[in-house]
Amino acid sequence: MAFVTLQNVTYKYPLTEKPVLQNINLQIQEGEFVSVIGPNGAGKSTLCYALAGFVPHFFKGEISGEIEVDGKLSSKSTLDTWVLNVGLAFQNPFNQISGAKYTVFEEIAFGLENIGVPRDEMKKRVEDAMSLTGISELADRSPYSLSGGQQQRVALTSILVMRPRLLVLDEPTSQMDPIGTREVFGVVRKMAEEGMTVVMVEHKVEWIAEFADRVIALKEGQILMEGKPNEVLTSDLLTENGFGVSRYTSTAREAKKQGLWKKQNLPVTLDEAVEGFKK
Amino acid sequence: MHERLSFHIKRDSFLHSLNPLTKLVLTLALILIAFTFPYYWTPHILVLAAIIPLSLLGKVFREFSVTALRLIIPAAGFLFLMQAFFQPVGTDIIFKFYFLDMTMESVLFAFRNAMRVFVMVSAFTLFLVTTHPSELMSDLTRRGLPGQFAYVIISTLQILPQMQAKAQTIISAQRSRGLDTESSFLKRAGSLIPLIGPLVFGSLVEVEERAIAIEARGFTSKQVKTSLHEVPDTAFDQFLRWALLVFIIISIGLNLWLS
Amino acid sequence: MLDKIKSNFNTQTWVLIPIAIAINIAVGQIVLVLKLPVFLDSIGTVLVAVLCGPWAGALTGALSNVIWGIAIDPGALPWWPVAAMIGYMAGRMAGWGFFKSWWKVVVTGFVVALTAAIVSTPIAVYLFGGITASGSSFITAYLLQTGQGIWSAVVSTSFLTEPVDKITTAMIAFAIIQGLPKRTIGGYPKANQVATEGGASSTQLYIAIGVVVALVLFAAFMLRNILGG
Repeated sequence: MAFVTLQNVTYKYPLTEKPVLQNINLQIQEGEFVSVIGPNGAGKSTLCYALAGFVPHFFKGEISGEIEVDGKLSSKSTLDTWVLNVGLAFQNPFNQISGAKYTVFEEIAFGLENIGVPRDEMKKRVEDAMSLTGISELADRSPYSLSGGQQQRVALTSILVMRPRLLVLDEPTSQMDPIGTREVFGVVRKMAEEGMTVVMVEHKVEWIAEFADRVIALKEGQILMEGKPNEVLTSDLLTENGFGVSRYTSTAREAKKQGLWKKQNLPVTLDEAVEGFKK
Repeated sequence: MHERLSFHIKRDSFLHSLNPLTKLVLTLALILIAFTFPYYWTPHILVLAAIIPLSLLGKVFREFSVTALRLIIPAAGFLFLMQAFFQPVGTDIIFKFYFLDMTMESVLFAFRNAMRVFVMVSAFTLFLVTTHPSELMSDLTRRGLPGQFAYVIISTLQILPQMQAKAQTIISAQRSRGLDTESSFLKRAGSLIPLIGPLVFGSLVEVEERAIAIEARGFTSKQVKTSLHEVPDTAFDQFLRWALLVFIIISIGLNLWLS
Repeated sequence: MLDKIKSNFNTQTWVLIPIAIAINIAVGQIVLVLKLPVFLDSIGTVLVAVLCGPWAGALTGALSNVIWGIAIDPGALPWWPVAAMIGYMAGRMAGWGFFKSWWKVVVTGFVVALTAAIVSTPIAVYLFGGITASGSSFITAYLLQTGQGIWSAVVSTSFLTEPVDKITTAMIAFAIIQGLPKRTIGGYPKANQVATEGGASSTQLYIAIGVVVALVLFAAFMLRNILGG
């Protein structure tokens, strides 16, 4: 029994003609780290909203099919209970600052206050979450005074601290430098190893190849292909459909045409490329 | 530009250590008594016997004096002049200015009203200076105020300075493009739309995403909310609140009885 | 009753209210800089009232004044009931379908202005003896000196100053809602109240201007009657 199941999910926002998601069928195991890629307008964010309960509970619109997480059906739940199980962080960090708090520490505690966690436990959980994502030294700063990358870490921490069973992340590293991005992928990997299920929309394919268990490629609201990161990310199908691929993949593909790349599989990361060219 | 709107000055004082609700009741008591106690010199006495001692107790006398001189006294003074001239009471004219008469009665009337306003604003200022907004909201939420109110108050206090900064930027930008605040009425009216437009639309489009972000963090949860900060409420606080309530009732009662 | 109040408030309402209060205050200050003869300090209140309902509008108005009072001008504090009534009335009018086309919006603005005039009168009279620290008090003072009673002097002043301000406010709020993407509006509790009626918008605008002129004439006529009587 999969932890997350989407069965024939088709969804249309209100006032729109075309469905954004079409016949999505998907199964994700507990503790799996799944990455979602796709061009603009592929329905990646909508898929995140669907997993997190905001589609359809917040956006309304027409939905068919079933979304099931941890044995519960989205259609039979309400948003306020669904979010206890499924956490969502998204791209724009500025809009994720609650505005109701003066310090980063309070900001991260906001969710725990809302769901009634006792004070001592709350403090402990906030401290743990902050040290996990490496923002302990920001505790007393105002969330508005931080850089975009720091705000994104605060947004991620604010969701992690609620300990969701399923973590949904929509481009959570868009404003981070490579070091920050790597750290966030590392944290997410660690959470997955501890049993949290993760769905993460990203276009930084090199990190996906290194950290994710599986990749799903979305195009025009449908799943184009899915599988092991290296299989999907080096597939010709992606390039044909206008997906962005790693520069190492495209370099090696050119090299292969010229007979300079001897291996069967194409690389995604720098390490794989170096390894391959050595042979 | 400050990144947030807060008058709170962190000090270690008796007034700071009082429970926020106690200070709120104290503020309301000062205002209500100043406006209702049926004795002419009440607001004047309150300033000397309550407002100034409280500012000393709160160790904010210096900051309070600055605010009073810069903001409160000019506002109260303006009200005093308006009323002293325009109030058509009394016959004992002491000063004449075109069709406006200043009488002994209108001066006394205006003086009391100005002092009442002075007490009102001073009491609020002292309250805000010695109470941190999040402390007040934690305490009121614990006492049953819906959590959404705390959210609205604090986020307004944080959004407002951002919005004012944005407004300032837009005004300067428009000025550099030739907006003249001294130009003809129609020109100024016409410049309103390019000024308001960017300010309003940007923030309205953000609403949906911000609503999603706080819902994802249990904003609509039906659980009883807890609070990160513990706000002390002593027996002395409770005694003080009851005592102040008695004063308020006496003051309003006397006012009704004598009128 | 309680359910009706609750129906005004969803998460988007709670997020909108602080923004609306900030709009009230920021636009109010821009107008001061431009030295226009209006206040326009309740555009946000009308937006909330129309999109979310009368109770949300009333709350926005009241809180705006309290925050304006403590943050900028303490003299604004006692007027919170007026601001609350503006929000409430705008919401009620929208509920009755009077926020769907330009001329209806003008009527809404006018009704809101009358409400504001009525609610502000007792506050001005009891708290300030008719003379407040606002510029329009010069008119009141003049009327008082000409022998008018205090109540009619204060009411006449409000009738002179309020309609232009509130009609403009309502029209700006309407223009803002028209300019927003439909999708942005869909999530508010009373989104259907602002679904606009058909008809060319330029004709609508002409009708609106006509209605404004008619209302101003009507107000002038009423005023003459009050002053004459």
